[in-house]
Amino acid sequence: MITVTKLLVGILGVVVGIVFGAIPGMTATMAVAVFLPLTYAYDLETALWLLLALYVGGISGGLIPAILINIPGTPSSITTTFDGYPMAKRGEGERALKIGIVSSLCGGLISLLALWLFTPILSSAALKFSSVEKFLIILFALTVIAALSKGQMLRGIFAGFLGVLVTLANSFSVNNQYRMVPDFLKSKMSDGFQLLPCLIGLFAIAQIFEEAEEGMNFKVQKTDSELEGDVRFSLKDFKGQGVNIVRSSLIGTFMGVLPGVGGSAASILAYAQAKNFSKHPELLGTGTPEGLVASESSNNGLTGGALIPLLSLGIPGDSTTAVLISAFMLQGIQVGPLFITQNPHTWNTILVALLASNIIMFLVMFFPIKLISKIIYIPRARLYPVIIMICIVGAYATKNGRIFDVWALLIFGVLGYIFGKIKIPASCFLIGFILGDDLENYFIQSISAAKGSLAVFFTRPIGWVIWLMIAASIAYAIWDDLKDKKKKAAAA
Amino acid sequence: MINVVYSTEHWIVPRIIMGVLVVLLLAIIITEGRARVKAGCAFFEKPGKFFLDGYDKKKLWGTLILFAGYIFTIDKVGFTVTSMIFVFLFNLLYTGLGKKQLIVSLIISIVAPLLISILFGVIFNITLPKGMCSVTFVDYGFTIY
Repeated sequence: MITVTKLLVGILGVVVGIVFGAIPGMTATMAVAVFLPLTYAYDLETALWLLLALYVGGISGGLIPAILINIPGTPSSITTTFDGYPMAKRGEGERALKIGIVSSLCGGLISLLALWLFTPILSSAALKFSSVEKFLIILFALTVIAALSKGQMLRGIFAGFLGVLVTLANSFSVNNQYRMVPDFLKSKMSDGFQLLPCLIGLFAIAQIFEEAEEGMNFKVQKTDSELEGDVRFSLKDFKGQGVNIVRSSLIGTFMGVLPGVGGSAASILAYAQAKNFSKHPELLGTGTPEGLVASESSNNGLTGGALIPLLSLGIPGDSTTAVLISAFMLQGIQVGPLFITQNPHTWNTILVALLASNIIMFLVMFFPIKLISKIIYIPRARLYPVIIMICIVGAYATKNGRIFDVWALLIFGVLGYIFGKIKIPASCFLIGFILGDDLENYFIQSISAAKGSLAVFFTRPIGWVIWLMIAASIAYAIWDDLKDKKKKAAAA
Repeated sequence: MINVVYSTEHWIVPRIIMGVLVVLLLAIIITEGRARVKAGCAFFEKPGKFFLDGYDKKKLWGTLILFAGYIFTIDKVGFTVTSMIFVFLFNLLYTGLGKKQLIVSLIISIVAPLLISILFGVIFNITLPKGMCSVTFVDYGFTIY
């Protein structure tokens, strides 16, 4: 049911999301992570409305600075700068923004359709999974991460397994024995580090450390004139773009399904395809609506896509949906193959909330765009102290008030900062951290049932299929790495 | 074959993962070392500087120290007062001592913690850190943490 509270929460979420997305350096993940504690006060449905609205708003807000000042507000709007900024320089800023917003809406809606159609199918296939296949699927998630960590394959896998190891520092649920926990922390760490402090630390606090190192004196030049041009937005801008929109949205959705890929890969791929299929490829990059449409519809296509593996397999597609998993956990709901059949009501809520968030995003951004685009001038140095405070509230409330979780927040913040320095992808670490417990449980269940024999992982046909997928993802990673190196060698 | 024994099975997976990590680490060192040799450098080379050139020492270490101080104080003094102090200090650290800056810092550090404290602690009833400056209004049934 749609209630007034939910609509208000949806509007709040979208607006806050847009603010986070529009300020360069702050991301949708940060928005969801920082506002997660607010959901403690709500029932699951209202909480989902808030979180999905933050997600959609956060992804969409990134197009504003990308177009107006040539700085992507979120990583996924990198390709928006290619054509958006040239248009703004010609004085077509408002037109570019509106094209971007409409494309975002289309991308969001198409991916919602994919979510609605494919999640039940994938879930029913996954229902046949025994603990063996469940283990293998998680292993697959960990290798796919790597296949797509562009030229960082080994570091990506390393980060994933490191995440698994860190999450296992707890007391094992079967025999209640501690491992990797020093004696003085045993009372605090029976279920290990909590997800929320880990996540906010890695994605919000680490970012603040990085910017503090850079001196935090980032200033945005005012560019009012670029919104005052003669060329106005009209629906004719979308003439002949139908195929482009559908293709780019589906690329975004598909990339969203793969764990750990993230929006930037999706929009780069969609942009490249738009160029391949374009009648005038030479115009892309000089400020044509075509490139803008490809970029923005693909990065919003991600939103529905990333929810597909989350809801059907319990595997998050990106760091933002990883936060959604913790929201489900907090409300006592287990996502996975049984989720839809056991919680049909929640499933409907997700679809309705996602649809509403997309529409609210469009209404909030399209008409008052001139006002909304002023967000990019908010100085981050003023926002960060308040964000630190809210992060502390969130971490503290994770287990109903423990200062230990706040220290964990700081530890993961420092860890995330160090990861950035030594080029360990934090999103891969996070996915390992989330999946680690299940990985262990399914592994132990499988080999216990088989009396210790590892052959159990190779006996069932569904298992073989997953092994093939694992092999394919690693092979792809190696091939991609080699291709990359050859290209570099040829360039040098 | 893996022998699953009840008393030691909590170590099976962590040990395997550690093994995998060691292998991966070696693989990273070898492949990256070989790439460096191919590019005409030594197998091992001195790692680049950890911090940026001319990085902002005051802001980076200041953030870390203030953060730790904030956590250390918060459950002794109470959320609202501690937050006012530290949000002000963070603002000071990031934006400096100019007169206009100071006024803005002061306003943010009073308004924001109060707002969050009332929104989360009173309206939404979420547990916040409690300390000696927290006040419970027994008659009205709420606490300003």
